[in-house]
Amino acid sequence: MDKQFNKPFNFIQESLLETALENGSIPIGYTCNYAPTVLFSAGNLFPYRVNARGVSGTEVADIYLSQVTCSYTRSILEYVMDDRLEFIQGWVFAAGCDHLRRLYDNLQYLITPEFCYILDTPHKCGEHAISWFEQELKKLASLLSKHFQLDINENSVSETIKTYNQLMKNLKTFSDLRKEDPPFSGAEFQRLLSLVWTLPYESTLQLIDNLYDQLHNRKCPIDYRARILLISSVIDQYEWIESIENVGALVVADRFCTGAIPGIKSYPESDNPFNDIARHMLQTNACPRMMDTFDYRISLLLQSIKDFHVDGVIVAPMKFCDIWGVETTLLMSILRENNVPTLRLEREYSPSGEGQLHTRVQAFLEQMKC
Amino acid sequence: MNLLGNFQDQAIYYQTYVKTYYHIFQLPLQLGPLRTIQHLKKYPWLLQLARVKRLLDIVTRGRSGNYRKATASVVEKIVPNLMDILNVLNESPDRLILHEDMVPPEILSAMGLKTWMAELLGILLPIVDSHAVERYIDVAENAGIPSDVCSLPKSTMGIMLNKEVPPVSAIVTSNSPCDGGMSSYQLMKQHLDIPMFQVDVPYNFYNDDATAYFANELKQMIAWLEKNTAGKMDWDRLKEICEERNRMTEYELELWESIRRRPAPLAAEAVFLSHLWCFNVTPGDPNGTQLFKYLVELANDNIQKEIAAVPNETFRSLLWNPPLLHFIDYFSWAEQQYGLTLLIDSMSYNRQPFIDTSSVDNMLKSLAHIIMTGPMARHTRGPAENYFNDMFYMYTYFDLDMILVAGHIGCKNTAALNGILREKCRTKGIPLLIIDYDLSDPRVVTKDGIIQQTDRFMENIMKVRRQ
Repeated sequence: MDKQFNKPFNFIQESLLETALENGSIPIGYTCNYAPTVLFSAGNLFPYRVNARGVSGTEVADIYLSQVTCSYTRSILEYVMDDRLEFIQGWVFAAGCDHLRRLYDNLQYLITPEFCYILDTPHKCGEHAISWFEQELKKLASLLSKHFQLDINENSVSETIKTYNQLMKNLKTFSDLRKEDPPFSGAEFQRLLSLVWTLPYESTLQLIDNLYDQLHNRKCPIDYRARILLISSVIDQYEWIESIENVGALVVADRFCTGAIPGIKSYPESDNPFNDIARHMLQTNACPRMMDTFDYRISLLLQSIKDFHVDGVIVAPMKFCDIWGVETTLLMSILRENNVPTLRLEREYSPSGEGQLHTRVQAFLEQMKC
Repeated sequence: MNLLGNFQDQAIYYQTYVKTYYHIFQLPLQLGPLRTIQHLKKYPWLLQLARVKRLLDIVTRGRSGNYRKATASVVEKIVPNLMDILNVLNESPDRLILHEDMVPPEILSAMGLKTWMAELLGILLPIVDSHAVERYIDVAENAGIPSDVCSLPKSTMGIMLNKEVPPVSAIVTSNSPCDGGMSSYQLMKQHLDIPMFQVDVPYNFYNDDATAYFANELKQMIAWLEKNTAGKMDWDRLKEICEERNRMTEYELELWESIRRRPAPLAAEAVFLSHLWCFNVTPGDPNGTQLFKYLVELANDNIQKEIAAVPNETFRSLLWNPPLLHFIDYFSWAEQQYGLTLLIDSMSYNRQPFIDTSSVDNMLKSLAHIIMTGPMARHTRGPAENYFNDMFYMYTYFDLDMILVAGHIGCKNTAALNGILREKCRTKGIPLLIIDYDLSDPRVVTKDGIIQQTDRFMENIMKVRRQ
């Protein structure tokens, strides 16, 4: 009992997913935050953020996607080719970046899923882009409705948004604990988020309520030397964050695709839900794929540094990701101009080179005189 | 080759040689000695560009008769245009706009703006000197740009980081051709500290919503330019430019019809370099139309006299992706060694090339369509079916024997389709050579490395040895 109390984040993710599937829930795979998950949370559908946590190599995927594509997309394709994602009943892609678009093309060619759609996603967030994206969302809703014999309409989407917002509100309460001395580590928080992105909303709502009760009197499990903001794209392996934290760098703020900043922001609730979704996705997501949100991205980071009392920033672009690769160069110089200690760590999707990672982070902490 | 033919070929070369240097020397004459020295110090690439004669050597090597005339005439078009472009160094910056190569200059010219294509040097320098952009690539990488980003945006960023860009007052760019190219402009904006407008090209544009969205993007760009620069839109001027472009296109289509014949009356640079320059750098220039008219005449003359551009034409090929910039003489080498003739390339081939000039809206929609269906938007970023459908259509239409892909290591978009491409070509029985190399950095794969890959392919797959 005591052991369980101390490790409330040790979820058995597979069994939770199995339970959801046994209950008749239908997972729809998605790979990018620009995929409108509230649209495929209708009826029995639930959004499943596709990951390849246990991938050990990408030999087959390399043949198709080449070795110069980011290792996230290659790992997903490898998982697909290994039949490890067979439970996914449909795929919704956003034309987010070069790599994801080509993952879609290769997936269509290699396995041709029964439902596989790629959503044209503007690179801008002004009114014209929102209006066009709204039409794209309606097209997707109509295709989903037809294929899964559902009625995804404005009312049902509004209802889903309410549930989603409740979940995000609860998560925010949880995430805000990190603004002071958090009762959990960054890796533990990431374990929680990985459940949120891969289970039906209702299941995780219940889970978060239970978890919250278990955290009274719990102390931060990391004897940390510095509070860190971690910036990256997709991080599915909390073990990588654990490695950083093991040398005393507590991740208190997470600006990455599977993290909380700005991933857990609630949708607006109006009588035009499709427009709300379009606006929210284009204006809130802080991905460097957007051409006109650079200032927003920077201010979001600087605000997060302030809110979460961050001592240093680790920017960890995934190798071969051009948008993050170039953005990182800009971030480094802006953060340094703002006197924020910053470390650049290029990484692959699967954690590797733990010793080297420890050395780099230790050196960074020493530079910060922590 | 008879003596007279030899003499005529030499005459073609020296005629173009003299014209080329006449134009090159205009620039220092206009600038005067002091400003020339100042400019050479500020823009060291000027000296490298002065080696443009190398381009003449490349395109005329091993070619004779009308084929030599055709390729030399392309150089005759490029050099004076290039000197005109370099005249922007004398311009006041308020009318000088930095634009990305995917944003064609028709609209900018119609607005009375002078343009500096950011990628121009990254494309031209390795053509005239294989190693010319290496130092700019190093500058970008030393500044933190990952080494795996495409070397064209890397060299473009390096030139900018080295402060070797002419003084510009605004930037117009797009989300094409790739994430690396798109992202590089944010860095340029920050460093140059000038306003920027980016047009958003849809991913899948074969629907009215996407076309309307993008036509509106162009309208917004015009409004933005009118607000942020000294430019004002002259719709009549735009109409003239578009009509001239249409005339040039008509001749190009005629040229394409003629090269479908086996053996082809013209090939290689006469087809791809003419398009690359005239459609991307100087659309609407009557001299471009004249060039294509001349190319068509030369092709027809060869057809009438039953003369092949490449006398030993053995294999007809398509080039997919941009040409090998630091080994631009690859095609003349391949012609001589294997009779391998380059007929058409993905950068030249467009499906909807005409502009409807009946109204302003139609003109903008057509221009929108041209940008969206341009090769880097349609093939490099667009859905895979655009890529394969066009490739195999061209293979059949031009009666080709093989497909040659310039497999630029920095192009992740196309690298990620190589697996499917190999399987599709195998199924269709089409010989496919994917050359592993880097577009503008010969340190990645040298000229010899490219030759080796070609030799192996020709010997093992095409079952021929060098002639």
